[in-house]
Parts: sequence; C-alpha cells; structure tokens
Amino acid sequence: MKTYDVVIVGAGSIGVPLAFYLGEKGIKTAVIEKEPSIGRGQNRAAIGGIRATHSDSSKIHICQRSIDIVRRMEDEFGYDVDWLQGGYLFPVYDEQKEKTLRNLLEIQQHFHLNIDWISPDKIAELAPGITMKKLRGGTYSPEDGSASPLKLIDAFYVLAKKEGVDFYFNEEVVDFEKEGSRISKVITKKNVFHSDLIVNSTGGDAMEFSALLGIDVPVYPDSHEGGITEPVQRFFEPMIVDLRPAKGSTNYYFYQNCEGQVIFCITPNPRIPGKNCDNTSEFLPMVIKRMVDLYPRLRNLRIRRTWSGLYPMTPDGFPIVCFPKEYDNLLLTIGMCGQGFMLGPGLGEILSEIIVDKTNKYDTILEELSLYRNFTGEEKLK
Amino acid sequence: MERINHHPILKNFKKRKSVAFFFNNDEFVGYEGEAVSSALIANGIKEFAIHQKNDIPKGIFCANGQCSHCTVIIDGFPQKSCVTSLEEGMHIQTLHHLPELPEDDHPLEHYEKNELNCEILIIGGGPSGLTAAIELAKLNFSIILVDDKEELGGKLLLQTHKFFGSIKDCYAGTRGIDIGHTLEEEVKSFTNIRILTSSSVVGVYKDQKVGVFIKNKKYALIKFDGIVVSAGAREKSLIFPGNGLLGVYGAGAFQTLVNRDLVKSSDRIFIVGSGNVGLIAAYHALQAGITPVGICDILDRASGYQVHADKIKRMGVPIHLNHTVLSADGNGKVERVTIAEVDDNYQPILETAKTFEVDTLLIAVGLSPVDEFYDTANNYGFKVIKAGDAMEIAEASSAMFGGRIAGLQMANLLGKDIKIDPEYYEKAEVLKSRPGKVWDLDEVKLNQKFQPIIRCYEEIPCNPCTSVCPVNAIELKSVHKNIMDIPEYSNNCTGCGLCVAICPGLAITLAKQIDDKFAEVVIPFEYNPDFEKGDKIPLTDRDGIFLEDGEVVKVKMLKKYKTHLITVKTTLKNGAKAAGIIIQKESDSKALPKPDYDYVPEDGIVCRCEMITVKEILDYIKEHNVRDINQLKQIRVGMGACGGKTCYDLLPRIFKMAGVEWKDVTKGSIRPLSVEVPMFAIINESEEDIR
Ligand SMILES: Cc1cc2nc3c(=O)[nH]c(=O)nc-3n(C[C@H](O)[C@H](O)[C@H](O)COP(=O)(O)OP(=O)(O)OC[C@H]3O[C@@H](n4cnc5c(N)ncnc54)[C@H](O)[C@@H]3O)c2cc1C
Ligand SMILES: Cc1cc2nc3c(=O)[nH]c(=O)nc-3n(C[C@H](O)[C@H](O)[C@H](O)COP(=O)(O)OP(=O)(O)OC[C@H]3O[C@@H](n4cnc5c(N)ncnc54)[C@H](O)[C@@H]3O)c2cc1C
Ligand code: SF4
Ligand code: SF4
Ligand code: FES
Repeated sequence: MKTYDVVIVGAGSIGVPLAFYLGEKGIKTAVIEKEPSIGRGQNRAAIGGIRATHSDSSKIHICQRSIDIVRRMEDEFGYDVDWLQGGYLFPVYDEQKEKTLRNLLEIQQHFHLNIDWISPDKIAELAPGITMKKLRGGTYSPEDGSASPLKLIDAFYVLAKKEGVDFYFNEEVVDFEKEGSRISKVITKKNVFHSDLIVNSTGGDAMEFSALLGIDVPVYPDSHEGGITEPVQRFFEPMIVDLRPAKGSTNYYFYQNCEGQVIFCITPNPRIPGKNCDNTSEFLPMVIKRMVDLYPRLRNLRIRRTWSGLYPMTPDGFPIVCFPKEYDNLLLTIGMCGQGFMLGPGLGEILSEIIVDKTNKYDTILEELSLYRNFTGEEKLK
Repeated sequence: MERINHHPILKNFKKRKSVAFFFNNDEFVGYEGEAVSSALIANGIKEFAIHQKNDIPKGIFCANGQCSHCTVIIDGFPQKSCVTSLEEGMHIQTLHHLPELPEDDHPLEHYEKNELNCEILIIGGGPSGLTAAIELAKLNFSIILVDDKEELGGKLLLQTHKFFGSIKDCYAGTRGIDIGHTLEEEVKSFTNIRILTSSSVVGVYKDQKVGVFIKNKKYALIKFDGIVVSAGAREKSLIFPGNGLLGVYGAGAFQTLVNRDLVKSSDRIFIVGSGNVGLIAAYHALQAGITPVGICDILDRASGYQVHADKIKRMGVPIHLNHTVLSADGNGKVERVTIAEVDDNYQPILETAKTFEVDTLLIAVGLSPVDEFYDTANNYGFKVIKAGDAMEIAEASSAMFGGRIAGLQMANLLGKDIKIDPEYYEKAEVLKSRPGKVWDLDEVKLNQKFQPIIRCYEEIPCNPCTSVCPVNAIELKSVHKNIMDIPEYSNNCTGCGLCVAICPGLAITLAKQIDDKFAEVVIPFEYNPDFEKGDKIPLTDRDGIFLEDGEVVKVKMLKKYKTHLITVKTTLKNGAKAAGIIIQKESDSKALPKPDYDYVPEDGIVCRCEMITVKEILDYIKEHNVRDINQLKQIRVGMGACGGKTCYDLLPRIFKMAGVEWKDVTKGSIRPLSVEVPMFAIINESEEDIR
C-alpha cells in the first residue's frame, strides 16, 4: 500500500498544476495517470487560449490567476511556455452580436476586466487584412493571451517532480474501497493507494470515474477538432473569436502562436457527443471557409495537421469544483468544458490554498461551481 | 547549365521548351514544366532556404514532395520546389527563416465542396497500384487511382536498369522506365479507371472519405467502398555528424534528379548502403557522367543482390564493406566524406578513417513502408488492402505481382466471388525472397564455339536468361523448383547473345577459344562506348579485379534491350574470366592522403524539419525520463512539415543510446494531413477546371 496526503487521479490540464502547488506546500502528493505520460487526455488537444474575460466571477477570478502564473513562468521558474499576450478579439459584423457583446462588456467591466469596445480601424491594426465590410467593431481584451499546452504542462510536471510529487503512469484507477463515508483505498491494476484526500481530475472520463464511487456527475464529453498551419512571420496578434453561427457550426477561434503557426478550432453544431477522437472530413472545409471569409489573407497558409479531442461539457458550461457530500475525502474538479487549459494553473493554486491552508477565501467559487447547483444557467460566452 | 545531354539509356529526350526565370533577381534558364528544384540545381543553385535554427542552409532532400526541405519563395509564396513546375518568368527567392504571408486580401468570392465517388480508391500509381487497378478494372469496378506525381509509374520511372524476376509475371529483363510506360498505357485504356495525377491523398477520415489535394490547387473528398494502399516506401534517414549539410540526400532523390529530370546534380558522390538501391545508384551515376567514388556498408557483405554488387565492382566502383560513415564535412555543403572500419560491435575504429572528396552523399540504408493510410483505414473498419512496398519492402517485380493479388483480394472483399489461384501466392512469396544460398561455380573450359559463362551464383528470384534462349540452352537447377534456383548452361548455344543482353545482373558473357593463344569474349555494356574496333579496353574478372587490356573486335547494339554487346579479344587464359569492362579510373576513388573530419556523433541531426540534434533529444529523454514519443513534441520532434515521417525510424536508436528499451516506449500517432495543403485549396477557391 502506498500512502499519500493527496492522490490526484488524472495528469491533465488540471491535475498536474494542482500537483505542483500541493507539492510546493509540502504535501505528499501522488498523481495517477492511465496514459503513459502527462497531458495525453485532452490537454494535448487544447489550442492554448487563456483569457480572463469570462462572464462570471468564478472563472474570471481563476483565469486571472492563471494569466498571472503563466506570465511569470519564465522569469520565476525558468520555463519558456510560449506565453504570448496578444489579447482576445471578438470582431462583430451584425447588430445583434454587437448588442450581446456590449451587454456582456458591462458585466466584464464591472469585474474590472481590461476589455473594451474597439473600432474597425483599431481591429484592422491588430489583424491587418481582416474583412472590413460590415465590420462594426468588436471587443478586445489586451491582457488575455495564449501559451503552449505542451510546454505548460511539461513545466508543471518538472516543477512538481522537483517538489517531490510522485507520478504513476500507465496506471488506471479501476476501483475503490470505502469505509463509511471515507474512501480508504484507491486501486489500480498495479498498486493500492491510501490517502487523506482523493482528487478526481479525470477530464473526459469524469462520469465513469465518479460512477465507481456512486456519484452521478453531469459531465458529457463532446468532440472537437483542431488544426495547425505551417509557421510564417507574425502578421496578427490576438486570439480571434468569431461568434457568428453558420451551417454546421457555432463559433470558431484561432491565433498565431509563438512559432508563427496559426492554430484553430471550431464548435460543431449540432454537437458531436461521445468520446470519439477521430478526424472527420467535414472539419477542414467547414472551418477554413469561415476563416478565409473572415480573414482572406489566411488563404495562402498551408495547413499542416489536424486532430480531435474532447470538451468535457456540463449542462450550463461551467466547471464542477466541489467536495461532494457523500464522502469526507473526495474533491471533484471536472467538467472543464472548453477551458480546462486556461483554468488549470489558477485552479491548482487556489485549490492548494483551500486544501492546505483551509482558507475560506474562495467559498463563493466553491458555491458557484458546486455539484449541487441547478445547472440551468447558460454560459454567455463559451 | 549542368544537364545530362548524353545518356546511354534515356535517349528520347523530350523536346523541352527553354524558359527564363529569376532566382534572387538574377536571370537563369530552365525547362518549362520541370521541377523548380531541378531547374535550380541544373543552374548550380543548391541552397534553397536558410533555417531559422542556427541559420542552417537547406536544399533538396527527398525530391518527393514529402519533407518540405526544398521550400523556396515563388512569386511571393512559399512552395516546395520539388513538386512545383517551372514557368516562364517565375521569380524565385531563397526562403530566409520564416516566410512572410503575402498581403492577399481580396474577399472570398468562390468556394465549393468537391465530392467524388468510386467503388475502389487506389492510393499510389507505382507498379503495385497499376497492376491492382488493371485487375480491378477488368472486373468492371469503378476506380479512382490517385498518384502524387505527374506521370504514373512510381519508382519505376526512376529506373534505367533491367529488372529481375520472370518475364511472364513481371517483365523481367525490361528496364523499369519501359515497364512503367507499358503499365501506364494499359491502365489508361480502361474507361472505368479515373486517374488523378499530381494529386496527393492527405487524409483518411472516419466518415469513409479520403481527402485529396489535387494539382496544387484543389481539394476533393472521395467516397469509396474499398481502398488499396499502394503508396510505396520512404527512404530511411541516417544519423551522423554533418548529415544536415547540403548535398546529403536519399538515393531516391538522386535518381529523380538524374533519371527523371536529367540534371547532372553532382560531380562526385559517395553512397552509404549497399542494398540494391545504393548499388544501382552508382550505376545510374556512371550513366549520367557522375563519379561514384565509393559505396560503404557496415555489414561484411553487400546487402543487395550479389550480381548487382559484382557488376558495380567491375565498373570500377569500390564497395567498402565493414565500413560506416563517420561524418560529412564542409562549409555549409558537403565537401568531404569520411568513413571508417567498424569493430565487432559495429563501432567505428577511428584509426582506419579515410576521407574522400565528394560533393554529394547519398543515403541508401533501407526503405520503410508508407502504410499509415492502411492503418487508419483499418482502424476505422474500412475494407482496405495494402500492396507493394506499402505492404512489404521488396523489388518491383514482387510489387507488380503483389498488386495483382491485392486487386483480386479487394474484389473478394467487395463481394465478387473470385478464386485466386493458389500458385499466385507461391509466386508472390518467391518474388519477394531475400537472396538465398551462394553456390561455388565450376571453372569453364572454352572450346571453339561460343558458350555462355554465367556468373550468377547466389539464389535470387530471376530467370529471364532461361526464357530468352531460343534453344533452351540455359535452365535453372532443380533445387527449389522455382525461379530462386540458379541458372546453368547445358549445351547447344548458338551464340545469339540474347542471354547476355537481357541479364539484369550483367552476369553473362559468351566466350570461345579462337586459337591456342587467344579467346573472344562477348561482354554486355550499358554505357555509351568511348572506344571502337581496334581499341584496347581494360577488362576485369567477376569481382572487378583488373585482368588485361583486351582489343575491341566488334561493337554491336541490341536495340530491344538497349544493351551493347562488345566483342573483345583476350589472351586465352583470361577468356573465361573476363567479365566486365572498367569504366571508372582507380584514381577517381582514391581517399585523401590524410583523413580530414570532425567527429562529434551527437551533432547528427534527427529531425530535419526542425533541425533537432541527437544531443538535444538525448538530453531531453534523460532529463524528463521520456517513455512516450509524444513527450518529444515538446522539443518539436515530429512537429514539422513531415509529421515525423523522417525521424520516427531513427528514434529507436536514440532511445537505446539513452538506455531506454524501445519496447517500453509508447509510439506516436501519425495524423492527417500527410502533406501541407493551402487553405485556398481546401475550399476550392479557384474556379479553374483542372481535371
Ligand atoms: C480542439 C480543442 C481545443 C481546445 N482549446 C482550448 C483552449 O484554447 N483553451 C482552454 O483552456 N481549453 C481548451 N480546450 C479544452 C481543454 O483541452 C480541456 O478542457 C482540458 O484539457 C481538460 O482538462 P482536464 O484536466 O479536466 O482533463 P485532461 O487534460 O483530459 O486530463 C484528464 C486525465 O485523466 C486521465 N484519466 C481519466 N480516467 C482515469 C483513470 N480512471 N485513472 C487514471 N487516469 C485517468 C486521463 O487519461 C487524462 O490524462 C480545447 C479542447 C479541444 C478538444
Ligand atoms: C529509391 C528507390 C530505388 C529503388 N530501386 C529499385 C530497383 O532498382 N529495382 C527494383 O526492383 N526495386 C527498386 N526499388 C523498390 C521499389 O520501391 C519497388 O521496386 C517498387 O517500385 C514498389 O512499387 P510500389 O507500387 O509499391 O511503390 P512505388 O513505385 O513507390 O509507387 C508508389 C506511388 O505512390 C505515390 N504516393 C505515395 N503516397 C501518396 C499519396 N499520399 N497520394 C498519392 N500518391 C502517393 C508515390 O509517389 C508513388 O508514385 C526502389 C525503391 C526506392 C525507394
Ligand atoms: S547466347 Fe543465345 S543461344 Fe547461347 S545460351 Fe545465350 S541465349 Fe541461348
Ligand atoms: S544470369 Fe539469369 S538468373 Fe542470373 S541475374 Fe542474369 S538473368 Fe537473372
Ligand atoms: S525535397 Fe521537396 S519535399 Fe522533400
């Protein structure tokens, strides 16, 4: 039997940063991962966007922390994670979207986020060549940005190992033993773990995993495809998000990463529920038509590769971060939807404070992201 | 311009139109429609791009559209020069680091989805794809055959030499190029085969469609019931210090430049690897007027066919066995190559280093199947068959025969009830056999009549010498009772010379005694003779050892086989021994008096797209305890244009160096797209009809 203070199940966008912050606080931590290395769940699929400009206080708060952490990664810890503070740009081409975004802007400014409405000319400066016809302006949040999901998780992994965190790869948690309302054993095919706290950060597998414990969690993965181009010299700065729905899809977004490659993905409509991560023939023609329409200059870029991954979705589009009532030593941090990568660092630090320092500073977050909320609300800006 | 204007085999130079183009603002001349890379190399330009990492110069590497190394800026756009056709007035520029995206801002006006349908999609129009197509077409299937080259034929189009195998099953004794054209014509005669050339399959998708990038402009989705994957093989890369220099490339790229595009790409080459591909590259070089300074192989015997190796040696090209390449050196480009003997553990013995002055180093260390489409289609549960090199690396003869079987198997999968002759499978097995037993040959005694002297003593799948003899004077031994058996002469030779002319190994001569001092020998010769009747020419024995200068008696050309038969007079004692004519002077193959090289093994480049060295990967593996190839993406291994196609084969060795067993390492997956496709093509912005 292996004994730890905290056992984290899932070495993904959420589990790995959390492991580091716990390790840093001197907590004896293990991470159990069924895949052979870090980030092979959905972290590998994320395109790397990080923004604080959400529409609710919890995500705003967590992501502000994330940005702060990622921005300091190189100076403080010596890891270049390709942080690029290019901002997020939502260009607007119709009256209705303008209204939605302007309303949202009020909420966001209420939270003191650095975001504003900018003119078409300003947009053209940020993204030279973008379609100007009917462009009404848009919102722009210069402090948001992007980083490499591969590099960021790797940095947290190395840092966590330095803090003494143990990683168990190729080990799937297959069972538990319970004593009353305590989980007494976490069982994999190779080992048995004993721990004061078990963290479920199993991403797309959260539902099956929680079912092992008799807990029903509304996390329904759906599949999303992403793609990347060849690298070229920088020609635009921000993450560009086009919210206009079209046949077969809702929004799509793309940015030019540190290597100079444009990286993009789209939200299909209707959604493609399930865990299938195969490539479809629909994806490229659908997303590319929209991208070239919005930004004709992209037409000469060559697409290098495509892939597919999952958004672990919840009914209201908000994550679940909760100590469920059924157990004394379980933490759920699941249902990260399309934002687990950007939530990971901030959430890791915050949770470590909650777990170790027993602070109640973050009670509103735990309340808002509780498993017991009614899930009827709807994320205004997915 | 460095062009090949005289070639013993490639005679019918197509009339090509000369056009002017610009490179970095200077004017040059090339041929319209030829690969831009070939036009550049023919004009002595080898540096195409400067990589952002350490300003490393890049030039041609695969000449096959796969690696992106040859990217240049053409009329403002980055393009792979080896798959872009030259046009009048093109402005070409060196690509310096990352390209600038042109400010092409006109609005999107036209887009469309292209969907095609067929029953069977065939990926790759080499020998196996072509023969599969023919079998399937005869059964009335509707077929789409996709090949990424302008002309069908695959690797056959690069082969100026005669092929092994049997005449009946796979055109043995005919030159690769000619076989390619024959098969192409047959395929074109079927109206139920739709051919898409200059078109690459770039992905197989789970909704039972493949994506095809057509003629650099368009994109189509093809729906199918079954797929035949006959996409051939890619050449393996090799790690040694200096392997990233300009002038280090694959033997296939060399054959493309020299035999397809008739560019005299080099003056002096060295070849690593003595398989059939490496051996034949030396032969091709000689035909093109290029000096093959030598071939080295780490093994203690040539790994290609013995008859192949022997004929290369007779031409005067040394094969350095038990030798590996230590390094390539030079200022940005290959100027020297150093080899050294290896010990029992295949480690180089530095004291034995020899340096040669060359401008090109060809890597010919094996092929690996292009079978990712098969794997993907198979995963998705589609009906799929692989054929040719994509299934198993072997000779073209085997690919042709295997393609027929694959076609019939596919027909079965799609519900046609056809019996496949069990003999087919046996033959297919024989054709892909590795060489077998080596026999001792008896010394031949000459008499007054011509008789064939056959120096074919290693079992290989080949028999045209027996089929071609009008009096059945040559027969195979009867050990295996198939074409692996070695040929033997019985009697009754009429001296017609057909066996001499057809033998792909150039392993047969005719000889007779003319008096008590002299003999006459008929020797096959596949070069343009620079001698005539009465001249003295240097003759060698089977293994390339000089015997004597013989006097030319007659020079005759057998048109059908594009082979000269040279009759020479020799002394009697050498009549049965004389086997070949030396082409290359010994002095051409001399090492420098002193070795001159820099040997830092960890400087070798593994990932060519991102120029990542052995050392960088080793350090990362050790530091991060890597057991999953995917982790290496963090340092960009496999993230370049080729998607890991070049470096994955090299990784087992690197892991071994790091003390990690390959079996403990999780492998990476290959994702679409297999080659980069511009966005304008994906949405078919161009309205031009290019079919
Ligand atoms: C195309 C695409 C683009 C995206 N872009 C962005 C973006 O720009 N920004 C952003 O913030 N997010 C983005 N996302 C979303 C993001 O990838 C996910 O929200 C995030 O990775 C989820 O993190 P996680 O830690 O919950 O899950 P994961 O990272 O998937 O980690 C869960 C881990 O748990 C392991 N596991 C599961 N069950 C078990 C078990 N029983 N035993 C042991 N291990 C187990 C899994 O193998 C996995 O490694 C994108 C997603 C996709 C598909
Ligand atoms: C450099 C080299 C030299 C060789 N020399 C000889 C020799 O001298 N004698 C001999 O017998 N054998 C030789 N071989 C072996 C040769 O590969 C086989 O003999 C034979 O050509 C294999 O036939 P194939 O049909 O499997 O593949 P190939 O002849 O390689 O044909 C495959 C075709 O598929 C195309 N293709 C690949 N991917 C795609 C895609 N995604 N979309 C569309 N088209 C695609 C390729 O460009 C090619 O045209 C050589 C091989 C190589 C690589
Ligand atoms: S020279 Fe002619 S007759 Fe004599 S063995 Fe050869 S093919 Fe037969
Ligand atoms: S001697 Fe006959 S079997 Fe041997 S290589 Fe020549 S043709 Fe083939
Ligand atoms: S040399 Fe042109 S793509 Fe490899």
